This record gives sequence, structure tokens and C-alpha cells, in this order.
Amino acid sequence: MADQRAGVIHDLGYRHYDGPRDGVATIARTLFVTGLRHAFGLGRSGRSKILPFLLLGIAVVPAAVVVGVVTFLPVSELPLTYAGYTNQIQLVVSLFAAAQAPVLFSRDLRHRSIVLYLARPLPAHVLALTRWFSLTTALLVFMLLPALVLYVGGLLAGLDVGGQTVDLLKAVALLVLVAAMVAGITGFISSVSLRRGFAVVGSIVALVVVPGVVTAVQAIASEEGADEVGVAAGLASPWSLNSGLADAWGAGVTVFTPPTGAWVAAYVVVALLVAALGLAAIVARFLRVGSQ
Amino acid sequence: MSGPGSTLVLDSVSRWFGNVVAVNDVSLTIGPGVTGLLGPNGAGKTTLMALMSGFLAPSAGTVALDGEPVWRHTEAYRRIGLVPERELSFGYLTGRQFVRANADLHRLPDAAGATERILAEVDMVEPAARRLDTYSKGMRQRVKIAAALVHDPAVLLLDEPFNGVDPRQRMHLMELLRRLGDEGRTVLFSSHILEEVERLARHIEVVVSGRHAASGDFGAIRRLMTDRPVQYAVASSDDRALATLLIAQPSVRAVRLRPGGGLDVEVDDLGTFAVGLPQWTRAQGITLHDLSPSDESLESVFAYLVAR
Amino acid sequence: MNATIVKLAAQALLGRRRFWLLLAFPVLLVALTATVAALTDGDAAWPLLPGLGYPVVLPLVAVLAASSVLGPEVDDGSIVYLLSKPVNRHAIAVSKWVVAWAATMLAGVLPLWVSALVAGGGDRATAAGIAAAVAGTAYSALFLAISAVTRHAVIVSLLFVLIWEGLLGNLLSGVAWLSVAQWGLRIGHELSPELPDPTNLPWALLASVVVTAGGAWFAGDRLRSFSLRGED
Repeated sequence: MADQRAGVIHDLGYRHYDGPRDGVATIARTLFVTGLRHAFGLGRSGRSKILPFLLLGIAVVPAAVVVGVVTFLPVSELPLTYAGYTNQIQLVVSLFAAAQAPVLFSRDLRHRSIVLYLARPLPAHVLALTRWFSLTTALLVFMLLPALVLYVGGLLAGLDVGGQTVDLLKAVALLVLVAAMVAGITGFISSVSLRRGFAVVGSIVALVVVPGVVTAVQAIASEEGADEVGVAAGLASPWSLNSGLADAWGAGVTVFTPPTGAWVAAYVVVALLVAALGLAAIVARFLRVGSQ
Repeated sequence: MSGPGSTLVLDSVSRWFGNVVAVNDVSLTIGPGVTGLLGPNGAGKTTLMALMSGFLAPSAGTVALDGEPVWRHTEAYRRIGLVPERELSFGYLTGRQFVRANADLHRLPDAAGATERILAEVDMVEPAARRLDTYSKGMRQRVKIAAALVHDPAVLLLDEPFNGVDPRQRMHLMELLRRLGDEGRTVLFSSHILEEVERLARHIEVVVSGRHAASGDFGAIRRLMTDRPVQYAVASSDDRALATLLIAQPSVRAVRLRPGGGLDVEVDDLGTFAVGLPQWTRAQGITLHDLSPSDESLESVFAYLVAR
Repeated sequence: MNATIVKLAAQALLGRRRFWLLLAFPVLLVALTATVAALTDGDAAWPLLPGLGYPVVLPLVAVLAASSVLGPEVDDGSIVYLLSKPVNRHAIAVSKWVVAWAATMLAGVLPLWVSALVAGGGDRATAAGIAAAVAGTAYSALFLAISAVTRHAVIVSLLFVLIWEGLLGNLLSGVAWLSVAQWGLRIGHELSPELPDPTNLPWALLASVVVTAGGAWFAGDRLRSFSLRGED
């Protein structure tokens, strides 16, 4: 080449694109779908599918067994309600959330690939919202699937359609609430502690140990006749909020100290607050990391 | 250094991961002095390093240090010092504590003395009281080398030691490695940057796509590469006009029309050819459709060594 | 055993944030039992131990301890700094296990025993302490072995504790034969009949010893074949 002082970028035939471009909404939708798939290990390596589907299996198989029982024995109703079933498998749901939240919330921050997302016209808070929505939806799918197995199986076995549908809808409303809370809590924990193991244990503390403590306190409070203490303790964990509301609503769950009167409203408000605060904390975290 | 120099011998070594062949039938001998392991990213340098340091079992062939296999042979580490590419995750230790821990693990009789000696050797006495997570990249690299050298090994293996180190520190490290080589140690370092290897090692081993592509004196390899004619397949809008044009160029040795269209071109002076071809064709109004090297494996080595 | 490895592993455990999480468990357990015992009486506080302390807090402490001494180093590959030394691999594994075991004893077993004393003491407190010591010992070795095999050691260990021992163990009595927690309880049962009697004593003793020794040995064997891979 000739000795030139000025620099030049040679046109080697790159083609410009001047056509229409998709906006933030499309990017967010694509990220949401990808996130939802990743939560179940879809689109990732074969080994990443083992755990979510193993847990999903553990969550669904008992429902299938119940359907089998209802089919072959002369019973006119399910032995437990949809909300009751979710309450029974809360440990499995908690493990799923604890294990899969780091997939959606830790990896981008830890490997700093978040910068690549934000290089697109996508604000950090939209990315955070998308992630949270993916996890919430994944949790909802995870909990709804066994409920649907019960519902469809029960109807096929000739149970009353109206009653079952009302029960299911009650359960779905509760599921949405609990999914939003659990996604907010585990998502926040995973976006703060980027080491996978640490995040998992942190989530387990929030979703298994704390509810365990709450249940123990409620049992003792009920025995000692100090129900108010037990009801107040129920505000401390997402699962006790969920089961307390389910009890108050007659959705087929029994807790030691069910909330009554104004406490029910308090439960709803706190549950909404937990979900909202979790989401807000995730957004704040993404904004901070994204701006570094 | 204790005793005479050690020699690392790889005999027909292959390593595959499932369907992916990372190292393909490599035989090489690494003796005292500084040797550079050169190759583009993903060529299998790290896999080779892992094989040589006993952190990977060869799928076929043997890796031996002075006649003894290194895989699952813990005692071999008395003679090997390893500087992995991985970062230190011992951020909560000070530099001195970290080097001292390495000395203790070797059960050196005078671990404290050896630690101070080696810290002085890599010029890290002053920052040695600070925690590792406060170090710069170059300092971490030097502490890693100190930790690998504290037991006075005959063989020092370094995986990408200059990655991310600033130029002044790089000079410093190179000086250190050169000195270690001059002392009669077997020093092997890997790099994907030609210039680094050129400045430090006389002897190089080149790996490309898992294969052992060249070995020997750096200058000699480079001469061999540039002197041999290179084959290209060319397709254009007017092959005969292009043939006429090319045969007139001194950098081209032979041109042949291919039966199904296109040309086989044998080039002597790749540099002139590469720069000239677009200009010559444009001047004659000929459009080039395709230009590809026809002897792929050697070509890639060549392209790697000369293309800067 | 290797004193340097023990020292490094202890520093790794104490020098990280997860130490505080590890410390939170015993504080939580003792504080809760003490509060309940103070407000009501010891017998009301006792169910916290079989309900929460023994099946959840103790294994969680063991998971954290075992995965902290080995997990991060295997995860980011910096274990090669320990392995590129002429040190017996089994000695490395045993040294790591000793640290994990000590942490489990201090942060898991000791507070459990203290809680049992707070909740009334007596034979059942001693029995609970012994049961926890046995289970904590076997847990720490088992989880160390899991940490040496997979990068997802924490979640695999939790699956074992919460799903296998917890969920399935409550439904199927046969699980007791393959449950670390139940072996510990069976050994504790010898001291106090208030603890359940899920299997027979020789099996509980044998299984606990086999899992402890086997876990530590297996971790060492995995370290012997440790392979350095590229980033994946």
C-alpha cells in the first residue's frame, strides 16, 4: 500500500441494511421465550435438562397416581385440592426455583455478558423485567402442569365440572401470586450472589428453612393458644403467605393458624409487596451492574 | 537448579473429547532452554499443556518426563513447575502466604528461605505482603511463576503467561524466562502471538488444529515456509485472460487451466501475489469469484506464521 | 493429612462471605429454641429439633461446609495449584474433609446439641447430639465426594437431603435404610427411646462408617484423575 497518513476503511462489499427493524418489544419477547426455555434446560446442553425435568417429574408423577386412584376407585371427589397439591409439592417447587434462578440471573452478570444485551436498544430494566417474567412463567408452568393433570384426569373420571373448575381457578390465582413472589426472591438472591452454590443455598434458606421456622412457630403458637403470633409469623415467608391465604379462601389447605378478618387483607398486601419488592430489587441490581 | 536438565517427550499423543479431536498424533521432545508453543486460539495448546503437566490422560500415546509417565504420577511434580492460565482464586491470601503455601506443599526443608529467595527472583518482595486480589495482572503472573519455581524444578510449563500483561511487565517476564532457560531449565510457554514467541524462544513448536505442524528454529521454519511455492485455486470471470495476466508476474511460478473451469496457480512470493492480485485484475476488468488455498493443512500453518 | 491443605481449606472457609451464612444457621436454631423454650417450656420447643434442626439445618450446614472447601476450587480450576504438588491425593481429600467435618460439628452439631439442652436436656439431648454427630460426619464425607464429581454439587446434595431423605423418606419407610439422617437417629435411639428406631443398629453403624470412609476415599480418587479442561 502507498504511504498514506490518513486512515481509510476500505469498502470490501459490506452491505448496509436500511430496512425496517424490530423494536424493544420484539427483543424483550425473544428474550422472554429464550429465558423460559432455558429455565427448563431447553436449548441448552443435554445435562442442563436433567435437573429441571427430574424435578418436574417428581412434581407431576403423584398427580398422575392420584388420577389413577380416582379412576379406579368409586370416589366422587379428588382426595386433595389443586391448591393443596401445590402446597404438598412446595419443596420440589422451591428446589426448582433455587436451581434454575441462577441460570437466568447469575450467568449474564457473572460473565458480564449483560453488556452484550445492553449493546442492543434494550434498557437494563426491561432486561431485568424480562428475566423475572421468564422465571415467574416457568414456575407457573411448573406448578400448573400437575394441577392440569389432576383437573383433566378428574374430569375424565367423571367428577363435577363446575366444582372442579372453581377449585382450579382459585388455585391458579394463588399460583400466580406465589410464582411472582418466589421468582422475585430467588431472582434477587441469584443476581446478588453470583456463585451458583451460594445462590442455591441462599434461596433454599428463604424458601425451605424460613417457611419451616414459620410452620414450627405456628404449630407452637396454635398449641399455646397464641394464634395471633402464628398468624403474624405467617407473613414472613412466601409459602406461609400462600397457604394462609389458601386456608382463608377455602381452597383446601389447612394451616395451624389461619388468618381471619383484617389479617387476610394484610396477607394479600404483604404477598403483593414481596413480589413487587423482589422485582424492584432485581431491576435495581441490573441497572447497577449494567451501568458499570 | 538441582541436577541436569530434564526432557519432556510426547510420543504419538492424541486426545479427543467425544467426537472432537483436540490433539492429533503429536510427537515432540522438549529439552532444556526456552521453547515456544505457538498456535492460534483453539489449536490445542491448553490441551497439550494439560497433557504435559499430568492434568489430562492421553487418549492414545504417552507423555513422559525423563522416561516416566506424568499422568497420575504425583512424584513427577517434584521436577515440574506449572503456571496455569487460570486465575488464582486465593484472593484472601497475601502473595507471600501463597508462595509459602506452595513451598510447604513441596515439604521444602527451608520453606521460608525458599519463599524469600524466589520472591526476590521475580522482583515481588515489596508487594508480597499485600493480598492477591489487590495485584495487577502482571504481578499475579509473577507470583504464579514464583509459586511454580519455589521448589527449583527442572521443568517450567507456562500456559499463555503473557495474556493481558502490559508491555513493560511483559518485557520483565520475558527477561525472567530467558534467564531461567539460560540456567539450563526446560522452559515451555504457549502463546498465540507470534511476536512474543519470536522475541523469546529460538526453538518453537507450532500446533494448528490439534496437529503438530512444525518444529525447530524459528527463523528456519519461517524461511522454509516462505520459500516453498503455495497452491491456489482461482475462479474468475475470464480465466484465460487471468492466466495470461498471472504468468507475466514474477511472483507466479505456474498457471494451469482446470478442466471444469478456474485456474490452479502456484505462487512463489505470497506477499507480492496477495497485494498485487486485486490490483492486476481490477486493471484488466476481470472479476474474481473465488480464491482458495488448495493444500489446506500446510497452508494454514503458513498463513498463520506469515499473516500478521 | 496435610497441615498446609488443612490451613488453606480453613482460610477458604473463613475468608468468604458464605462463612456468615454458615454462622447464621446455628444462631437461628439456638435463638429460636431458646425463645420458644423461654415463652412456653422445653417440651414445646423440642419438636423444632426433629422438625427443623436435624433434617434441614444440619444437612444444609454440611452441604455448605463440604462444598466450600472443595467446590469453588474445582469449579474455577484453581485446585491445580494444590494438585501440581507431590502430595498424595487421598491426603488432600482427607484434609479437606477434616475441615468440612470440623465446620459441620461447630456450626451444625454443636448448636443442635445446645438447642436440645435448652429444650429440656436429659438423655434425649445427649442422644440427639450423638445422632447429629454421626449424621454430620457421614454427611460431610458424602457431600465432599459429590463436590469432587459435579459442579452442581450443592443442588445434587440438596436433592438427596430434601427429596430423597425428606419427601420420599416421609412416604416410604424403606428409604430409612438408605438415609444418613435415619442411621444417626437409630444410633441415638440406643441412648434414648424418644428417638425413632427406623433400621437396625448394626446396619446403621456399618452404613455410617462405609459412607464416611467411602466418601472421603472416593473424593481422593476423583482428585487423582482430575483433568484440566478448557472453559466450557
